[in-house]
Amino acid sequence: MTTLALAGNPNCGKTTIFNALTGSRHHVGNWPGVTVERRSGTFEAPGGPVEVVDLPGTYSLSARSEDERIASQYVAEPEVDLIVNVLDASNLERNLYLTTQLMELGKPMVFVLNMMDDAGDKGLKIDLIALGQLLGGPVVPTVGNREEGIQELKAAILKAAAASSTHLPSVNYGPDMEGELARIQQEINRDEELAQAYPPRRLALMLMERVPHAVEQVARSHARKAIGAQVEASLTFLEAHLGADGSNLVAEGRYGFVHGLVEEVVERTDRKHADVTGRIDAFLTHRYLGIPIFIAIMIGVYTLTFVLGKVPQDWIAGAFNWLHGYAQAHLPAGELSSLLVDGIIPGVGAVIVFVPVIMLLMGCIAFLEDTGYMARAAFIMDRLMHLMGLHGKSFIPLIMGTGCNVPAVQATRTIEAREDRFITILVTPLVSCSARLQIYIVIAGTFFPPLQAALAILGMHFLGFFLAMAMGKLLRTTLFRGENAPFVMELPPYRLPVFKSTCIHMWEKGSVFLNRAGTVILAGSTLVWFLSHYPGIANRTWSSELQAQQASVRTLNLPHEEQASRLEALELAHESRVVNSSLAARFGKLMEPTLAPILDPYHTRTEAWKDTVALTAGFVAKEIVVSTMAVIHQAPEGEDHGGKGSPLQEALKTRSGLTPLTALAFMVFILIYTPCLGTVGMIIKETRSLLWAGFTIVYGSALAWLMAWFTVLGGHALGFM
Amino acid sequence: MSQFNSKALSDLQPGAEAVVTEILATGKIRHRLLEMGFIRGARLKVEKLAPMGDPMELVIKGYHLSLRREEGQCILVSEES
Repeated sequence: MTTLALAGNPNCGKTTIFNALTGSRHHVGNWPGVTVERRSGTFEAPGGPVEVVDLPGTYSLSARSEDERIASQYVAEPEVDLIVNVLDASNLERNLYLTTQLMELGKPMVFVLNMMDDAGDKGLKIDLIALGQLLGGPVVPTVGNREEGIQELKAAILKAAAASSTHLPSVNYGPDMEGELARIQQEINRDEELAQAYPPRRLALMLMERVPHAVEQVARSHARKAIGAQVEASLTFLEAHLGADGSNLVAEGRYGFVHGLVEEVVERTDRKHADVTGRIDAFLTHRYLGIPIFIAIMIGVYTLTFVLGKVPQDWIAGAFNWLHGYAQAHLPAGELSSLLVDGIIPGVGAVIVFVPVIMLLMGCIAFLEDTGYMARAAFIMDRLMHLMGLHGKSFIPLIMGTGCNVPAVQATRTIEAREDRFITILVTPLVSCSARLQIYIVIAGTFFPPLQAALAILGMHFLGFFLAMAMGKLLRTTLFRGENAPFVMELPPYRLPVFKSTCIHMWEKGSVFLNRAGTVILAGSTLVWFLSHYPGIANRTWSSELQAQQASVRTLNLPHEEQASRLEALELAHESRVVNSSLAARFGKLMEPTLAPILDPYHTRTEAWKDTVALTAGFVAKEIVVSTMAVIHQAPEGEDHGGKGSPLQEALKTRSGLTPLTALAFMVFILIYTPCLGTVGMIIKETRSLLWAGFTIVYGSALAWLMAWFTVLGGHALGFM
Repeated sequence: MSQFNSKALSDLQPGAEAVVTEILATGKIRHRLLEMGFIRGARLKVEKLAPMGDPMELVIKGYHLSLRREEGQCILVSEES
């Protein structure tokens, strides 16, 4: 099978070409060991299927970022028979820089001049025949988003794959450089294995640029001393002669070659072209209008994702509730039924319920990226984000985190530099999500008058953002101290996105979430079901007691409504008995002393362990904290009767022993402590590491403890109880 | 081009045009800048500053690019009037 690698700059329309080539027959995964997406697919050809591998979009092959390392290593693999280099015809000069590096590999190449329509609009006329001659390979003009030129591209690929020899030009770096390059190559050729692994000229150039993995490769060679010495001697000579270091000279040589080539094949007609991008940017990155427009766009994305997304979410939740009720009513009571009814059905529901918001948010983000606005958003917000140790692109995940942390963590994919992305992932859980809001509403509504309750809830959101900033700065100066990733970011021209690509993108994100994070969430919620039901659920005496009590209520021949409510109360009492004696409750009681300074500072509460159990349950999803409290306090959340709050709120107020101060500390703790299972699953997927997920849980819990403790101390000092 | 009239890119005002004379940055940033076209003799134009004053937008090699001021400090240019 012929394998071709699709290489090109970011924003050159590579993915559109990939989609047009492979249609629906493609697969998205990750490159080994990293979270850089690997797309591959096939198309049928007379001689058998052709495999297409989409490389990460990079400006260079010098392997200084994850993306570049993957692209650089993969194109050099022997399995790659052919390189298809996608070029943005409207921005040829910079796009061809990568081409000069790809040519050094000596593999057959096909050049795709994409976005020919944009080049035409810019008044550029490109001599395709001359360009093909100068580049040493066929040049195919395309307009990717209209799928123009794809058949011609396939034909050119098959022809190039069948050709026996290639005549790629090489960049001439001038007599001094060429002399030194020849000397370094001579030393490389002493080690046959090394010369096999890389074309010697490419390796020599990489050594001149001091590319880390090339240096490592040479360090393993038996000729390392000779090669190293020659490189140093050459660089010293060139520095003295040409007044610049190796990487400078190599870059100048490549750009010199490209510039000459562009001069020869591109004709700039004087036609006044409409600078659409410039006109749009006059508004979108305007000094005063830029920020308000950005905020308006964020409100739009947020509304679309979390308000519109709530509709299908409610359908899904409703369907699972119905299924839950149906299964409960029709299955015989027992452990297996409970596993299905209380463990697996809600667990699957908890996974699927995220899919609409994930697809909507990822669709919005893909739309913003494809139009070119994402780069502007980063441009506008970078100053603020940089102050807190983050990147301009970190802003969107943080804002979306207020809806739900799960898609927010996935949204960090748009941040290229690993350090920036990881810091953003690690601080996103501090942003208070809508599930936590439900808990604040119940607790603040119980312990504070309306105005103060609203202030307390607002305060939680501000505290979350403030802590995210502080932790961002702290992580940047400690764990991620290394070199700051450069913020040298292209502001690509505005383009209309292709509807099909956006849909493919949304579908991919949704299904990747189901496959990866979904399994973690399902396994976790089953585990928590086990912990919160055993050993009580297996207690035959208790279940027969419940049945006996229910039977005796039924014999009383009470009016229908009263009978139903008494049966329900018995059921709740039974559930409460099971949960309160469960492993999770034992864990809660065990952990209670550690939280005593926060939840029970005066050692007057006998029920403080119930809060700990609710917190333990909250690890699965913050949504279930309230329902767990209802079960353990034996007081349904239900309707508000006569302004006294729900039965749960009354129970909290009169029986739980929480005071306004400890209730506030409890809210602070809920804000900060461990991210929910869904977020943890997503963090594992996005960092590919259990360690980072564990770190998030540990630092979150420690920080939560400290902040809640400060709340109690501060409140106490101010005279509150 | 003497060293005399060269200044840091970050000191240019929006609308200014200049020619790159030297890259002082080291490490990753140096390589990234070179690859993106900041080589000696490359012409560039400062388009605008972001609403909060940083980063800056400029045009080099026919495309638009944004750069933080602290990165702009490491690029010496000679301004054209």
